[in-house]
Amino acid sequence: MLSRSQSEERIRFAGICLAVGLLIEALCLIWATPIAFIMFVAIGGLLIFVGLLVYLYSVVSTPVAGD
Amino acid sequence: MPSATILIVCLVLFSAVVIGILAARPGFTAGRGGKILAFIAMFCLPIFCGLLGFSSEMQRSKTTAFCLSCHTMEDYGKSLLVDDPTHLPASHYQNHRVPVDQACYSCHTQYAMFGGLKVKAYGLKHVFIYYLGTPPAPQDIKLYEPYNNRECLHCHLGARSFEEGVVHNADPATLPAIKSNQLSCLSSGCHDTAHDIAHLKGAKFWEKGS
Repeated sequence: MLSRSQSEERIRFAGICLAVGLLIEALCLIWATPIAFIMFVAIGGLLIFVGLLVYLYSVVSTPVAGD
Repeated sequence: MPSATILIVCLVLFSAVVIGILAARPGFTAGRGGKILAFIAMFCLPIFCGLLGFSSEMQRSKTTAFCLSCHTMEDYGKSLLVDDPTHLPASHYQNHRVPVDQACYSCHTQYAMFGGLKVKAYGLKHVFIYYLGTPPAPQDIKLYEPYNNRECLHCHLGARSFEEGVVHNADPATLPAIKSNQLSCLSSGCHDTAHDIAHLKGAKFWEKGS
């Protein structure tokens, strides 16, 4: 089981991945070219997917009171 | 930029800011309220934004302007303006038989289950080849598979001009053969002038369409 600080580190990492992924997606939505479509799916989508996985892992790994 | 896209961009940026704050202060997620906020901001919002954005990008990728934004497709775009009624794409485009803003997609999608996704996968391959590979010369571009009558019949099936057309009914076997894709609309010698880009230099163009 992770300690609270480890869990916070995971949430920080997940947050960075998600925020960067969302910023890339916002840029791709503004920049309307075929390469933007690729970046949206490949880079933005991947970062969001990784961020979601790490966040969910941090949730199920967080020690609950009494543990 | 369409107002819907602007709204999606605003929502995506708002989500990024909220997530950024939580990433800067992860200790905030320790309490019950923080956990609920984190779940909404770091799970629900990214999925929602991702799906909205993906839908918007998919809609944009269907537009004629999107397809013609690649240099390789320039001649195919010009062929839509050829002033010749026997030129199949041109007559469809100029007479609005297909939506003008989605002209390429309307004819080159596959009206079957997952057909839209399949042609978008082809599109991703095109972009990959365009930027990282060696794109073929425009006149060397070929369809991945023979053009299926299903795509024509998506609109023309049941239309009076198709069902009661003189040539279509000259032989009673013709119409069933077209409908079962045994007799191709394009390659059987009937409607065979599609994107004749090899002869664009001598062609006359519809000026009002440009």
